[in-house]
This record gives sequence, C-alpha cells and structure tokens, in this order.
Amino acid sequence: MTETLRDTDSYILFELANTTYAVQSRDVQHMEMVEHITPVPNAPPHVEGVVFSRGQVVPAINLRLRFGFARAPYTLRSRLIVVQVGQRRVGLIVDAAREFRNITAEAIRPPHESITGLSGQYLAGIANIGDRVVLLLNIPEVIKSGVDVAAAELVLAEK
Amino acid sequence: MDDFYAECDEHLGDVRSGLLTLESAIGKQAPDPSILQRIFRNFHSLKGIFGMAGLQLAETLAHRTEDYVRALTRNEVPLSDEGFGALTAATERLEQIVVAHREKKPAPDIAGLLDRFGALLEKSQDATPAVARSSAGLEQRVAEARARGLRVWQCLFEPSAVLAEKSLTVNSARARAQELGEILHSAPKIEAGGKISFEFVVASPSAEVDQALWEGEGIQIHEYVSPAAAPASAASSESAPPVAFVAPSHVVRVDLTRLDELMRIMGDMVVHRARLEEVSNRVAALLPTNEARALQEVNIAFGRELRNLRDGLMRVRLVPVGEIFQRLPFVVRDLAHETGKRIRLSATGQETEIDKYLVERLKDPLLHLVRNSVAHGIETSEERVAAGKPPEATISMRATTVGETVLIEISDDGRGVDTERVIARARAAGMAVTDRPDSDDLLELISQPGFSTRDAADRGAGRGVGMGAVQDAVRDMGGELTMRTERGQGTTFTLRLPLTLAIADALIIAAGGQRFAMPQSVVQEITTAAADAVKSLEQNEIIAYRNGILPLIRLSTVFGLTPEPRREFPVLVLGTGLNAVGIVADRVIGQREIVVRGVNDPLLKVPAISGATELGDGRAVLILDTNGLIQTARQKRERRGPGTQFEKAYD
Repeated sequence: MTETLRDTDSYILFELANTTYAVQSRDVQHMEMVEHITPVPNAPPHVEGVVFSRGQVVPAINLRLRFGFARAPYTLRSRLIVVQVGQRRVGLIVDAAREFRNITAEAIRPPHESITGLSGQYLAGIANIGDRVVLLLNIPEVIKSGVDVAAAELVLAEK
Repeated sequence: MDDFYAECDEHLGDVRSGLLTLESAIGKQAPDPSILQRIFRNFHSLKGIFGMAGLQLAETLAHRTEDYVRALTRNEVPLSDEGFGALTAATERLEQIVVAHREKKPAPDIAGLLDRFGALLEKSQDATPAVARSSAGLEQRVAEARARGLRVWQCLFEPSAVLAEKSLTVNSARARAQELGEILHSAPKIEAGGKISFEFVVASPSAEVDQALWEGEGIQIHEYVSPAAAPASAASSESAPPVAFVAPSHVVRVDLTRLDELMRIMGDMVVHRARLEEVSNRVAALLPTNEARALQEVNIAFGRELRNLRDGLMRVRLVPVGEIFQRLPFVVRDLAHETGKRIRLSATGQETEIDKYLVERLKDPLLHLVRNSVAHGIETSEERVAAGKPPEATISMRATTVGETVLIEISDDGRGVDTERVIARARAAGMAVTDRPDSDDLLELISQPGFSTRDAADRGAGRGVGMGAVQDAVRDMGGELTMRTERGQGTTFTLRLPLTLAIADALIIAAGGQRFAMPQSVVQEITTAAADAVKSLEQNEIIAYRNGILPLIRLSTVFGLTPEPRREFPVLVLGTGLNAVGIVADRVIGQREIVVRGVNDPLLKVPAISGATELGDGRAVLILDTNGLIQTARQKRERRGPGTQFEKAYD
C-alpha cells in the first residue's frame, strides 16, 4: 500500500522550447500568470528579476535563458511556477504549464547522455508517458546561484 | 523553555551590570553591600532555575559562585582582582553553558572555575578577618564612632514610583547620606509585607538634623538604635528571600516572534492602505464633491492612526543599546590582561533605543570592533608615554539617535590605522590600491577577505571574522559602517543603523523607466541640477554644490539602464561634507511609507540593493542600499578608469 504511494508521484508538466518538462507537485508552491517582473540590475543574466508572491520577494528565473535557449516574449500562456526548495522560494518562468500527471517510478529512467546534450545536470530523469517524452527537472541544480559559465558555454557551443 | 532562557538572560544581565559597578571598587574601598546583595540574589535565583531545568553543571557553578559572593558580603574575604576575574569568568561560563544547552551542544567544563573559587574561599579562612563590615561588626563601629564624639543616624529610604518621578532613588538617598557623614553600613531591608527599604547608618559630626528636610527627599532619619535581636539585614543576606529584588510588576515579557507577527500584519495594513488611497483617488473624481471629500478624510484619518499604531508597535520593540555595551567591558578587561595594555572603557548613550532584532545582530560586530581597537589601535603604555599620551588608553562607545537612524561609535585614542602598512599589505595580497587612500579606501581595503595586518591570526582581532564580516553584518541590517582615522590620534568606527527594520519612510524615484525606493533617512537634501551644469573631472561627474563640489552617481549608469533624456534632473544628496555624493535619478515620484522585505535569496545578492517593497500595485520596487551603490559606482569607474584618464591627458 505505502509502496504504491511512494512509487507514484504527482507532477506538473510544463512546456519550454517545444519540450515537455516536469516538476514534482510537492515542490511547487503555486503557479501564476507572468505579470510584472521587476528587473534586478547586476543579477545573473538568467534572473529576470523579482516578483512579489504572497508577500514574499521571489527571484524569477527565466528557464529559457537558464537552459541556453533564445528569449521568447511572454504570452497569456506563460507561467511563473513558484517552487520551494528548503528555505528558498524561487519562481521559474516557462512557456506554458497546464497539466498534472501521476508518473510511476518504473516510467522514469536516468538521463541519457545522448539526449541530454543540454547539460544533464539540470535533469533528474526522463519519463515516458504514452508516446511522450518528459524531462524531469532537477530543481536544486536549476536554482543554484553560482554562475556556471562553463555549462552555459557548453550548451551554446553545441547549438 | 524560552522562558527559562529569558530568565537566565535577565539574571546574568543583572549580574553583569552589578559587576560593572563593583569593578571600580576593587582594591579601593569595601564593595557596596547592596550591589553584592544584588549579585548574590541573582546567583541564588540562577542556581534555582538551573536546578529546575536540570543543568547540573551550571547549578554547581552558580552554587559555588554564590558561596563566594556570600563570603564577600560578610566581608570574610576582600574583593581582589583575581576574585573579580573569577566572578566575571563564572558569569561568562554560565552564559556559555546556557547557550550550549540551547544549541544542544556539550557544555563547557567548569572544574577550573570551581578550583579558582575554592582557592579564593580558602584564603578567607587563613587570612585574618578583614575589618568587620558585616552587621555584626556594625555595633562595634557604632560604638567607635560615638567614642570619637560623632552622632550616629539611621536613614531609611523606601523607593516608590512617586519618589522616582522626582528623581529620588536609592542613589540620591545614598548621596544625601554621604553628605551627612561616613556611611558605616548600608543594606536593603525587607520589611513585613514584602516592602523593601534601604537603610544607611551614618556617623556624622552634625548634632542635629532637620527631619522635615530629609523627609522631603523621601528619607526618614532617626538616631541609630541598636536592635536587640539580630539585625534584619543580616537575616536577609542569610536566607536570600526569593522575592525579586527590583522586579517591576508592570513589565510584560513578550516572545519576539509574536511581535514579528504583529509587525508583519502591520506591514500588510500599510500596503492595503496605500492601495485604498490609490483607489479612492481614482474614484473620487466620479463622486459628488462632498462624498469625495468625506472619503478622503476617512482615508487620511486612517492613515494617521495607522502611523501612530506603527510608531507604537515599533517602540515596543525598542530596547536600550546599553544591553550590548554592558558586555564589552569584560572583553576589554580580558584582552587588556592578555596584552598587558591599559585600557579604560567609557560608554555614553546606553539608554539609546534600537530594535531588539538589531541589538541581537549588533553584538558580534561591536565585539569585533572593540577587539580590533585593542589589538591594532591601542599601543602599550610605554609607547603611549613616549608619544606624549596618557599611559591609559580610552575606548569610548557612544550611541545617539539621529532622526530615524541610530549612530553607534566605537573610538579609540590609539595609533590610528597605519596607512603604509595597509597599502603594503594590500599590494602584497594583489589588491588594487590608490597611492593616497582616504579613510573610506582604507576601510574598504581592510574589509577585503583575507586581509589582516597581523601575520599570525592573533586572538584579539582574529578568529577568522574580519572587518569584512562586520561590514556584511552592518549592511544586512540596512546600515552602514564608516571609519575615521588619524595617525597617532586614534580611530573611530561609526555604525549608522535604522531605528527599526520593517517599515521605513522612503523616497520613490524613477531611473531608466524603473522605480526605486531610497531610504529617506540617508537623504540629506534633494536638489535639482541642469544637464549642462555637470562637469567632468577625471572619472567623476560633478556639480557645484554649496561652495564646493558634489560628485554624482547616475543610477542609470550604475544599473546599466537607459536614462530618460532630460535637461534637468533631481539629485539626492547623501552624506555631508567631503563624504557627500549626489545620486542622479530621472524623477522623484514622491515620499512613501514602505514595508521593507528582505531579499535573501542567493540569486539576488547583488550590491546596491538591500531589499524590496510593494507600493500597492503588486509590483516589486527595489530598495537601494546607498553604501553598496557608492561602491558599485566606484568599481565601475575604476574599471574604465585608464581610458578616461587617457582622454583627459588630451583635453
């Protein structure tokens, strides 16, 4: 009984540059439309700025920039996914996020070298849902503050 | 358990302040019995609460300390330098044990201290009894005084709130008794019904006293009559009644987190009110004039009361900085012993109040500054005499409130910062150094990680926490640290801190299409400058200002934003005199009360931004950290420095 509960986790699926990613629901505080983001001068390039989210100042990371994709204008579908990791609360800006899914542990494989040219460290695993491939996000790595220029350059070089 | 810690804190704090008063008496006169009593009672209570909390080590140590203080009160031992040292050490050790307990760490050892007290108490048994000062000896001294033809008076002072309002306190009563003659004995008495009064027995050449005059000062005076039974004061020192000595019953102890919660709600209310004002300004145009006016009146009244509420709430959180000042003398005493330097510590403005939150965070930085003074600033007595200074050095701590900010100064009359050595050291560490650094530059250099003018990490200032840590701590509190130093004259560190953190008055300004909040407390003046009045001097832009010049920092430049094209722009003047700089914005939007939210996320650790606020529209507005701003501007200038200098050569 408890086995099955642990083996199936609920995920939120989101879109980024035509790829589907997933984050565990329990890491997500809430989601909101992308409205005004206040730019923070001299912050790392992928930090779009700050938003006030439920009375707290939260940094907003543009995941496109974090992963080395081109910036895209925000649309009505753009979402800010506010995740909580330990004491930190960080917003992730994604192209769209609409779906909840349960993913069983069997469906998840470790990130495969050949697919994850874009820096495997940001991925916790890869899941197959039907005929779709979903990349599971390694949140702590994504919101790490150190500027890993090397990784970013690698991604750009491979493009 | 929090209550337990609070209680420990209170008693230890009281012991500390008692010890301070006591210190001046070492080796000079017999210590003031009322102070000893107070210390005794505190240790006695501590012993009790440690026992209840199951802190056996602390209980044992408190017990042994209590024994020693009792011996002191009975004058079985004189108060020696080592004795005083043992008392301060025990106080510190008890504090460490409490902290260790709170942090669930192993408690430090107490064996050494127990031995020290053992030795001190043993001496008392060998030594010939000191001049009898206890109440038992009082009769003898009364007899002696009378034999010398003096009259002996008994003065009784019963403190009360009414008297305190007229500044009539135990101290004033003591002073008055001293004027009368020699105080043979002074002690608090617990009377039936729990009332406390103070008794002074005075031998005086005056044959008559004007009772009415004394009564006017709250003192009852009679010819001294020897009590038939054991004097009450002796009994009180014996049994140490659990009645708190001065426990004002009108004080409520509040958990700080509850106040934080109130403060948070208050903050939300301020934001909601801002929103209300915005909306009502909008709809007012649609309403009949009288309705609109009524709405605005309500709004204004609401705002006013909210501000009163905020001020009241803020005041609740304020505690005197004396709380931290009291700790420093012990540190200085220890360091002075270790280094063999002679140091006097003076403190003024202990009553200056500051937010409790800040007090907690001020301890370490102040401790470091004082250590720094002792280790680096202050010379040995010989060096001082050779330099024509008094052999005893002075470290003074001063606190004052200036508007919404609190200034705390730690200054010494030592040798000042050795500029050449700092430069050499900084260059050796590969730092960029100007040839003639001013005090600000020096402070920046010594705050760099890894900078230390001592090769070996010496105990005084070292321990890995450098000036950099002090800078960081002060900045985290939304304050700023400055230094003034003069070769051979001394060094002064000034901490400028906000009175409270959560809510502040700010100027909202716009630059490069973005709004920023500037704490109003740092802005001296807002002036306007015409674009064509700006002159370039080396890498600086300056304008003429008050018979001098004012270097400008453009927000848009520092932040890499595109400024609005303007022929005239506002300049916010920060600092005074030579330290003044002007911050250039595009527009000043207005003055607002802002709720300060910290930005703690490592992704947002950028210089020049200290927090964020919201003005009612849900959008975050960044709060500027002026110190960081000035430094960022300076670094930007230095980076493009050579080019500009090159251009200048061809001007």
